[in-house]
Amino acid sequence: MPKGKARDDGKTPYQIEVPEEYVLRDEVRWLKTEDAKLFRFLKEVMNKIEPAYVSTYPPSECGIATFTRDVLTSVAKYTPFSKPTVVAVKRREEIEPYGRVVRAQIMRDDRQSYIDAAKFLNKSTVDIISIQHEYGIYGGTQGEYILDFVRDLEKPAVATLHTVLLNPNEDQKRVLQELAELCQVVVVMVRMGRQILTDTYGIDPKKVTVIQHGVPNVHRVSTNAVKRALAISDRKIISTFGLINRGKGIEIAIEAVARVVEKYPNALYLVLGETHPGVRAWEGEAYRNDLLETVRRLNLENHVRFNNRFLSLSELVRYLCATDVYVTPYLNKDQICSGTLAYALGCGKAVVSTPYLYAEEVLGDGRGVLVDFRSPEAMADAIIDLFDNTSKKEQIESLAYKYGRRTAWFNVAIDYLDLFHRVMQAAGVRKDEVVEAKK
Amino acid sequence: MMEMDLQISTKTLEGIPVIGLSGEVDAYTCSRFRDTMIDVIEEGNANIVVSMKDVEYIDSSGLGTLVGGLKRASEKGGKIAVVCSSPQIRKVFEITGLEKVFPLFRSERDAALELAREVVT
Repeated sequence: MPKGKARDDGKTPYQIEVPEEYVLRDEVRWLKTEDAKLFRFLKEVMNKIEPAYVSTYPPSECGIATFTRDVLTSVAKYTPFSKPTVVAVKRREEIEPYGRVVRAQIMRDDRQSYIDAAKFLNKSTVDIISIQHEYGIYGGTQGEYILDFVRDLEKPAVATLHTVLLNPNEDQKRVLQELAELCQVVVVMVRMGRQILTDTYGIDPKKVTVIQHGVPNVHRVSTNAVKRALAISDRKIISTFGLINRGKGIEIAIEAVARVVEKYPNALYLVLGETHPGVRAWEGEAYRNDLLETVRRLNLENHVRFNNRFLSLSELVRYLCATDVYVTPYLNKDQICSGTLAYALGCGKAVVSTPYLYAEEVLGDGRGVLVDFRSPEAMADAIIDLFDNTSKKEQIESLAYKYGRRTAWFNVAIDYLDLFHRVMQAAGVRKDEVVEAKK
Repeated sequence: MMEMDLQISTKTLEGIPVIGLSGEVDAYTCSRFRDTMIDVIEEGNANIVVSMKDVEYIDSSGLGTLVGGLKRASEKGGKIAVVCSSPQIRKVFEITGLEKVFPLFRSERDAALELAREVVT
């Protein structure tokens, strides 16, 4: 059987769980009592870098919060002698029951709290600061308060950019340029991001590094077997997941499904995820209601199903593994990152997508199918083509899975650790000196 | 059924057992690696070569499994040497600092010879 090809023996029951991987931390903890000499040796030689992450953080419902938790957790699994820190960004009126890893908070619209957070980190044992950047999560004009924070930092910092606009306004450009100037390195998730930063923002390409979006560690499973477990084995599954907002273009996919069911009456489109909390606060469920109206108008009640709630990682992976074709009909060409598309690749799924910047790059070289923006016809044709051509679909799935494996969180964590290490070296900070200074 | 992308083999070189791994050593597969390592140690071997020259990816579970194996081996006065040629795998050991715990070699024979020499001396 070729590597990466999912198996199905036709009877295996399915219980997909994404395994935790705390084996290294557990083994080291046990050594403390079982083999003190080996424990001391490991403590002496293992990487003890202590990063701090500045970002929104769960339980805040936000893609960047989830991303930060995933990076932090993945890095911590390799560094059992380190204590990660989060400086969580929130609105003053929000009450978030954060875990202990959150050691300080920045009030989004309170400029002084950015300066206080920098002071806190300067005095702490933290070695390096990883800033998650998206204009909207920080206060001030285009999130400029984050610059106050970085200016007052006395430790090296790297910024991961979740939005890189092709046509920024003056303020957006200024904020990103200054952030890049103040940080040792900026991270983007696709090569195109580096190109835009160089061409549009005039940022030195040597300052930009590419680290891909991480995905859960999922080994390939048979789509049919997972469908059986979900009692949808007679359906052709199309899916989209993530926090719902108007930029997702789900109405385009619904119109595409109307065409698909003419040839495949068993097609079922799953829209997985709740409305983005920010959107809900602004317009309630207006967008979802519009989508429901579209479903009714097109008589698709038996072909479109919404799952309007938070899905655990295991649930999400189960639905993704049951998917025949994953779709991202997003409307914004500028989108430089999509966690949901990354996850679909990680599960080895054939993807049909509009050509926003992230999709254009990660689905290149035959790893997916790109169709025009706002074209239900093109999207329907692409889905039908994949349903018709099993071998073509399997070829795409294999390429997608291979690409996705490299971006599993356990690999991405090593990329971040390597980056942190290089930045500290370049900044003239040696961890053993840091350790000495802390004594 | 999850696909288990790890093949495990065993052989002896220069009197030292060599556990050959091929594929991915991660949270899904590391329990089989641990069982093999325990079997080899309980057969009376203290020194082991773990060959990762055909390993594509390793996660922290794989590293933890090695540390657990080292604890058992060191109880018998032994060591574990690791063979790896892939830059990605080597980087994992280097960046975590575990290359100072598990001596890294480019070939199984070099690793086995080194451990055999230590047994003699």
